[in-house]
Amino acid sequence: MSSRRVLYALGGTVAVLLVGAILHPGFASWSSLRVMLVVASFTGFVAAGQMLVVLVGGIDLSIPWVLNGAAIVLTTSSLGQTSRAPLAILLALGVGALVGLGNGMGVAWLGVPAVVMTLGMNGVMQGLTLGLSKGLTCASCGSYAPEPLRGLFDGALPAQLFLWAGVGLFMTVLLTLTTFGRRVYAVGVNPRAAFLSGVGVRGVTVALYTLSGVFAALAGIALVAYGGQPSLGLGDPYLFESIAAVVVGGVSILGGRGHYLGVIAGSLTLVAVTTFLQAQRVPEYGRLMIYGLVILAILFAYGREKAHD
Amino acid sequence: MRDALRRVSLGYLVLAATAVAYIVVYTSRLGRFPTSFDYLSILNTTLPLVFVAIGQSLVVLTGGIDLSVGGMVSVCVAVTATTVSSSITWLFVVLAIGTACGALNGLIVAYGRIAPILTTLATLSIFTGLGLRVLPVPGGSIPQEVRLVLTNPATPTGLIWLGLAVAGWLVLRRTRFGMRVYAIGSDEASARAVGVPAAAVKLKVYALSGLCSALAAVFYVSTTTSGDANAGNPFILTSIASVVVGGVAFSGGRGSALGAVAGAVALTLVIDILFFSGIDPLYQSLFQGLFLVVAVLLGTVAALAARRRRQA
Repeated sequence: MSSRRVLYALGGTVAVLLVGAILHPGFASWSSLRVMLVVASFTGFVAAGQMLVVLVGGIDLSIPWVLNGAAIVLTTSSLGQTSRAPLAILLALGVGALVGLGNGMGVAWLGVPAVVMTLGMNGVMQGLTLGLSKGLTCASCGSYAPEPLRGLFDGALPAQLFLWAGVGLFMTVLLTLTTFGRRVYAVGVNPRAAFLSGVGVRGVTVALYTLSGVFAALAGIALVAYGGQPSLGLGDPYLFESIAAVVVGGVSILGGRGHYLGVIAGSLTLVAVTTFLQAQRVPEYGRLMIYGLVILAILFAYGREKAHD
Repeated sequence: MRDALRRVSLGYLVLAATAVAYIVVYTSRLGRFPTSFDYLSILNTTLPLVFVAIGQSLVVLTGGIDLSVGGMVSVCVAVTATTVSSSITWLFVVLAIGTACGALNGLIVAYGRIAPILTTLATLSIFTGLGLRVLPVPGGSIPQEVRLVLTNPATPTGLIWLGLAVAGWLVLRRTRFGMRVYAIGSDEASARAVGVPAAAVKLKVYALSGLCSALAAVFYVSTTTSGDANAGNPFILTSIASVVVGGVAFSGGRGSALGAVAGAVALTLVIDILFFSGIDPLYQSLFQGLFLVVAVLLGTVAALAARRRRQA
């Protein structure tokens, strides 16, 4: 059932690319595909985390400012120096993990609804990021990402794509080949049944939210490496984009069903649609409306709930 | 039922606490009590959020969520700011547009069987695009007469509208429709089994949310005196926060729109409290986030304590 949805998601990507290639020659050439893949990889990172929490029926609304905060932590702690890069990356990922841990604890132990906990956390991170960096005007805020990180995007086959492939491998192995993965799906299908059969539901939940924080931070690092410098509001587009990618990728929003391969396809579909509309010089309002219509069409194709009665 | 009552009263408790904090902070900062002008400006700035929160709470009561309120407010703000100056009758067109947008959500959710969060995520994008089409750059205006009636800066006409909204809700929840909203939110399968036309009720609920967004847009343009096609965006998260602080359960079926109104006012007061206590505005969202989580935690603790008491 859920592997069929992965096929649908991949079919959707191919369809969008085909339509694009027919209407806009050169759209599916390798050079344009490479750009799309790189842009889609950012969505792919945040969507990996979003997918993990959606699998257990949760949601992570704290992604935008975890991403933004991690991006700023990376540049301000590395100051653009190569020697400081490894520590800065660890620090940024650590911030993500810590916030995710907080989200998970709030959801699993304090029983705060996921929407509320992660929404509140997003506010907390926004306030901390803005306040501590004095609105991105602090002394070290003008720093660039260290040079090796910016090399992620060089070459005919950018290292960033291998990084995304690594994330894909990690997600697939984690979810399909490990006991932990089994438990994730078990909790997603029926938390009560999972609990009664000895799954540590709380532990699993906390681990998933922590991972989501780490992935958001990873996206932040990649984005700041791509753009050179962080900006405020860097993560804002990725809140709804991550949810859309997860759902277009065939993951059930109710939890318990879905594969990361589908999410990769979903991320690529969304980016391909946006890129195509930009290439056609469709004005912003048209892009927004068509983007929404495409998501609706995809939802009607394979995102419907079962009929009642 | 008792549970519902307590959840609602939590919203009022939070509001009372923030109101006291507001007065204390204000007086200690300025050395005098807030004037009627202060209350009036709070009222006028809160009204748009109050309306969106009422609409959001209706949807959440059925167990759904409406992310497209941002887009609906944006479209309606754009249309209001560009047309009402030419003729006041456009106000009714704006309300019709909001209702139609909401009804579209309702159709997709109820008859298309697509999860509310996904439906409204997609329509959010569509409505935001529409708003940008109508008003590409911020601007527009609103006639002075409309301002004097809706959000008069000198006399509290806003109180009348707030009162009407509250009265509307009190009537609505006692109608058959209101009962059905709670029935669907509590247990949709059971509600269907006893003959509640769940799809039709949901359609109306989403349409009402659209109408509320349109009302919010009209009041927004009336207070700010101009329009912006991105004006609706902040309302997505603040309306959800209002509903949460107001004690409406996300699982549906518990809570009340009045709680959400209290939540909306409390959230607005928090911003003023932060302002008067001299906290760097950059840290504003930090405290709003903490406020949100703590308010909900208090609700959980209160519920736990009550359960303990009942068992003892």
